[in-house]
Amino acid sequence: MLIHRLNEDSIGFTDIEPIEADLLRQIPTLCDVSGDSRAASRLFSNPADSSEAQFLADWDEYVRPELRHVFVSARETVEKDLAAMEERPGHPSNLVILCAHGEAWLNTLNQVRIILANKFEFSDEELSLHEVPRSFSRRDLVLLQINFYAAIQERIIDALEGDEGME
Amino acid sequence: MAETVAEQETKVAIEAPWNVVVHNDPVNLMSYVTMVFQKVFGYSKEKAQRHMLEVHYNGRSIVWTGIRERAELYVQQLHGYLLLATLEKSD
Repeated sequence: MLIHRLNEDSIGFTDIEPIEADLLRQIPTLCDVSGDSRAASRLFSNPADSSEAQFLADWDEYVRPELRHVFVSARETVEKDLAAMEERPGHPSNLVILCAHGEAWLNTLNQVRIILANKFEFSDEELSLHEVPRSFSRRDLVLLQINFYAAIQERIIDALEGDEGME
Repeated sequence: MAETVAEQETKVAIEAPWNVVVHNDPVNLMSYVTMVFQKVFGYSKEKAQRHMLEVHYNGRSIVWTGIRERAELYVQQLHGYLLLATLEKSD
């Protein structure tokens, strides 16, 4: 897969292999944190320590719903973009997104990586490792998936900044 | 009209400088954190990178200091980008 700036307004994902397309299609569904309190508490982390009781209460009441709206809205943007992916069974696919959707993609990919990291309880050290695992347990594969999404984020940032994409 | 002690204390607390602190997080990419600092605070890439590296190596960075109302707004924006950010009273 190649991610690159197509023109002033858009970013292209070209030659998306079927396995990459599968991983992309999983993004919206992986954003569901229902029943996962660890992931939810990271997505909605506290903005101050407990000495700021009134601020925390106001945050819960007024800011948290706004943040939830931001996260859901980003996810919906990605979902709509993915629905437009050009697919031919058994062949690489292509996807074009607006640069204006870049932040929504970065946000949604962050949501997914945070959720997976919390769900599978990866340590800071594990998340910083970029070695090929010795085994391929489900947990090892999820770490590869997290790093795959991180690589997409890097390429989107490059594309938004106008750099050429890299394979 | 003379202010009460409570009113004065509240006023002092609000007017005292507040820090916006960003904490290290293994999920957020260095390039992403730099981009967010540029967008939220309007920092140059160099200044944003300095703060990002401070977060990465020291575990936290005071990214902005000033009036409380604005600090709260910045913390909210940073949470919208999924950064771990907190509000702290400046020493």
